[in-house]
Amino acid sequence: MLTGLKRAWESRAARKFRRNRMAVAALAVIALYLAVGLWVLSVDGLKALGDSTGWWNVRSAPLVDALSTEQAGAVVGPLEEPGFGIKPRPEERLTAVKARLDDLGKAFRLRARGGEDREARIRAALAEINYGAVRVADRPVEELRAQWEAVKRQYDTIAESPNLDRDPAALPALRDLEAATAALFTEPGGVRGFLQDFRLSLGTDRQGRSIMVKAVYSIKVAIQIGLVVAIVATLLGALLGAAGAFFGGWVDYFVVWLYSTLSSLPDLVLLGVLVFMFTGSVFDDVNRPYLSLVPLYVAMCLTFWIGPCRIIRGEVLKIKELEYVQAATAIGFSRLYVLIRHALPNTLHLMFINFSLLFIAAIKNEVVLSFLGLGVKSGTSWGLMIQESTQQVINGFYWQIGAATAFMFVLVLAFNILSDALQDAFDPKHVG
Amino acid sequence: MSAAPGIQPAPAPTPNSPPLLDVRDLVKHFPVRGGVLNTAQAKVHAVNGVSLEVRRGEVVGVVGESGCGKSTLGKLVIRLIEPTRGTLLYAGRDITRLSHSELMPLRRRMQIIFQDPYSSLNPRLTVAGLLKEAVRFHRVVPERELDGYIDALIARVGLRTESKGKFPHEFSGGQRQRIGIARALAVRPEFLVADEPVSALDVSIQAQVLNLMMELKAELGLTLLFISHDLKVVEHFCDRVLVMYLGHIVETLPCENLHARARHPYTRALLGANPVDDPDDRRPLTVLRGEVPSPLNPPPGCPFVTRCPLAMEVCREKMPPTESHGPGQAVACWAVNEPVVPASSR
Repeated sequence: MLTGLKRAWESRAARKFRRNRMAVAALAVIALYLAVGLWVLSVDGLKALGDSTGWWNVRSAPLVDALSTEQAGAVVGPLEEPGFGIKPRPEERLTAVKARLDDLGKAFRLRARGGEDREARIRAALAEINYGAVRVADRPVEELRAQWEAVKRQYDTIAESPNLDRDPAALPALRDLEAATAALFTEPGGVRGFLQDFRLSLGTDRQGRSIMVKAVYSIKVAIQIGLVVAIVATLLGALLGAAGAFFGGWVDYFVVWLYSTLSSLPDLVLLGVLVFMFTGSVFDDVNRPYLSLVPLYVAMCLTFWIGPCRIIRGEVLKIKELEYVQAATAIGFSRLYVLIRHALPNTLHLMFINFSLLFIAAIKNEVVLSFLGLGVKSGTSWGLMIQESTQQVINGFYWQIGAATAFMFVLVLAFNILSDALQDAFDPKHVG
Repeated sequence: MSAAPGIQPAPAPTPNSPPLLDVRDLVKHFPVRGGVLNTAQAKVHAVNGVSLEVRRGEVVGVVGESGCGKSTLGKLVIRLIEPTRGTLLYAGRDITRLSHSELMPLRRRMQIIFQDPYSSLNPRLTVAGLLKEAVRFHRVVPERELDGYIDALIARVGLRTESKGKFPHEFSGGQRQRIGIARALAVRPEFLVADEPVSALDVSIQAQVLNLMMELKAELGLTLLFISHDLKVVEHFCDRVLVMYLGHIVETLPCENLHARARHPYTRALLGANPVDDPDDRRPLTVLRGEVPSPLNPPPGCPFVTRCPLAMEVCREKMPPTESHGPGQAVACWAVNEPVVPASSR
């Protein structure tokens, strides 16, 4: 095993690959994405383990807990806030202040009910207000109320200004108002503060969830789909193609018939139909989110094996006539042994290239299907983010679609560079 | 097993020992598929009714120009391809219709050396790997003696034992051919088909590999079917030679004194085409004109009729029978046979 790795590392293809700087950089990017995906997966696992055994509560370690399925669905701030701390127009800033003041006002207007003391009810309502880690300041209710009334008056004076966007004098007043509003709340510090900045760095979506967390979390979904589909489809295609080419006769007729039939249908239509077939089944159950990706896996594996199948079939057709395969037959090995030991290993380079191509195709198709409402139904993925942002784009809010596209672009580009480099590295006629 | 390195000329068959290989009327047609329904549109007549016998310890050469069916014949006799018609007797046993698994124990007794040293070795297996695979499969030696056996084998074919961990691409063509020979010999066969084993090599390397094969043949008492397009090599190496043209054996003759014995016009043309390594020895060239007819549609009579300097009317109509011309020699030609045995008497 170790000598095998050493040999692979020192092989001509590997040396050629390492000389290609772009390819190495692409590989590093992919490794980073993979690491993030694994990280999210293991945090989710730890969380489930902690919840069932009480062994360790991940939520007590904010840095570990920063990326998880739960966090991807958590509200962290105001709705549709832009990222990079870019302040929106004064009008919008004023609306944001009003939203927070209104939230507090709702609590203060509560009356005593039943056996409950009024003040206790208000305190409970205040405790529930949170924008992620931002919470209402921990002060006596009356003091807080007085402070809130003062800020409200400040707000009213500014709100009277007929055209806030064009009034230069309004800006300092607005800044004061924002500071006063912020004083009603406690901003988290230290690690929590850093995490809050991280969460708000790309803004929030329509439910106030962090776009950054969603985009990073979606790496896991993409890699999950990419890996499963690429591995299964490549192996399935390789086995079918190799078997057809090697055994010939009715096996080959069947394989060729199967893939010609499947490939005569448009890919996306077939995918859509296959996914649609699962609607309403066990895999479409909100209570079992871990099954929700299965229809996607199945549909993509059933359509994507065609590419590798064709290519590997062609290669095995060629290899089977080579003299080393005939020599193996002359020794007396069984046909299956010759196929697995002599023919298939010599198509390994093609499998690698096909794997990386299918990986990209799977990720892109997940996005397309999710956008059409056929892919990931609940949870988070780049496709869902893009689907959600169709409404926002009309309103000029590009943060969500931008983030999803950028994260996907980097991964797809890296994989394209990688498969290109693999192709060159394995091509004996390519000099470089 | 007879280890006598040359039985010349080929002896008359002794009644109690059947020939190691007895081929009767072997035919191989390759279908050419095409059309809408992918049906057989035509047939390539690769081997067209070949009969031959190979005795134990004999080295039989097969010569002919490219496309005449020599390689197909070589692969047919060890059942790498299925014959269309005919019978194959190996050590007296009919192996024509044996299945893949029934053939398995026989595979150990007959092996093949291929022409192209570059495509005949799996690029993903080391030398030791590909040899061990074969030895293990046939349980040639016990597992604990395996390493020693492989080392000895590698040394025997003239490679250094340290190179057993290397991959085929790390060797030169001649070295690769030695590996191919080692693989064929690894299972200790008694019969070897050498399918143009040296034609892909440089002349100096050819001599080395041929000498190695000769040594091994004498040492192991091998029986060889040696396929080549080079009459010089065959003359040097073989006891008997079969001359093939378009799927037929046109002449069989002992290798000793080949030039004087050759009768068939095609054999003579082949001998005449060989360059002579003496600048003062100038002989008139008998150059064959025309092309080999397409094996898709061979002429009805003698296959050589389109290019034969002695062609007669009967040649165009009827295939000439194979007539004996002294010990170990047989010719299929109307022009040569007629004076000896009239065609009507057959």
